[in-house]
Amino acid sequence: MNDQTPASFAIISDAAIDEGAIRRAVESPASGAVVVFSGVVRNHDGGNEVWSLEYQAHPEAEALLAQCCAEVAAETGLPIAAAHRVGLLQIGDIALSAAVSAAHRREAFEACEVLVERIKQTVPIWKRQQLAGGATEWVGL
Amino acid sequence: MSIQIRYFAAAAEAAGRDEEHLEIAAGATLSTLKAVLIERYGTLMQRVVESGSFLIDGVVRRDPAHAVGARVDVLPPFAGG
Repeated sequence: MNDQTPASFAIISDAAIDEGAIRRAVESPASGAVVVFSGVVRNHDGGNEVWSLEYQAHPEAEALLAQCCAEVAAETGLPIAAAHRVGLLQIGDIALSAAVSAAHRREAFEACEVLVERIKQTVPIWKRQQLAGGATEWVGL
Repeated sequence: MSIQIRYFAAAAEAAGRDEEHLEIAAGATLSTLKAVLIERYGTLMQRVVESGSFLIDGVVRRDPAHAVGARVDVLPPFAGG
């Protein structure tokens, strides 16, 4: 297919994620399908009510996120973009935006699933939940 | 040898600090370092190092037999997304 790896784009910021910019980063005239996944802060976890989430990232997390996006772009031959937010997020805020475009929807959906799973496994980002009543807990620990 | 350790997220909470220098036997592995940290900081640190990983020279390491570098970051399990 392509002998060149398509572009990939990655950013970690404490500013609100611009989903339009993430989407535009993967669009091209050859795109018949654009999949944009939004990871959103929800108000419950494991049966507990969640009030807010605090995300922290390692100083090298953006480089590792970029590496992750570049790997998935190389493996799939598709353009890839991802943004992760850090800091204190409220219910409904977007924590992760991950986008893929492809000629057809199936490969775009599959690549986006691979991308999100890879980000969760390989990028050093942590989150602490503030539960109803004021208790806090680190997720995944 | 003296190594510089940085702690992140739950690891920083368990250690009560963000970084420190530790004396550790020459040729020590991550397995050695885990034992030192658990003895030093107790059960929360035990949960961190048993489910987490270490960053050495820009690469995430989980192999207990991997050598400890001059700088090691202690990383709790990732929870992005």
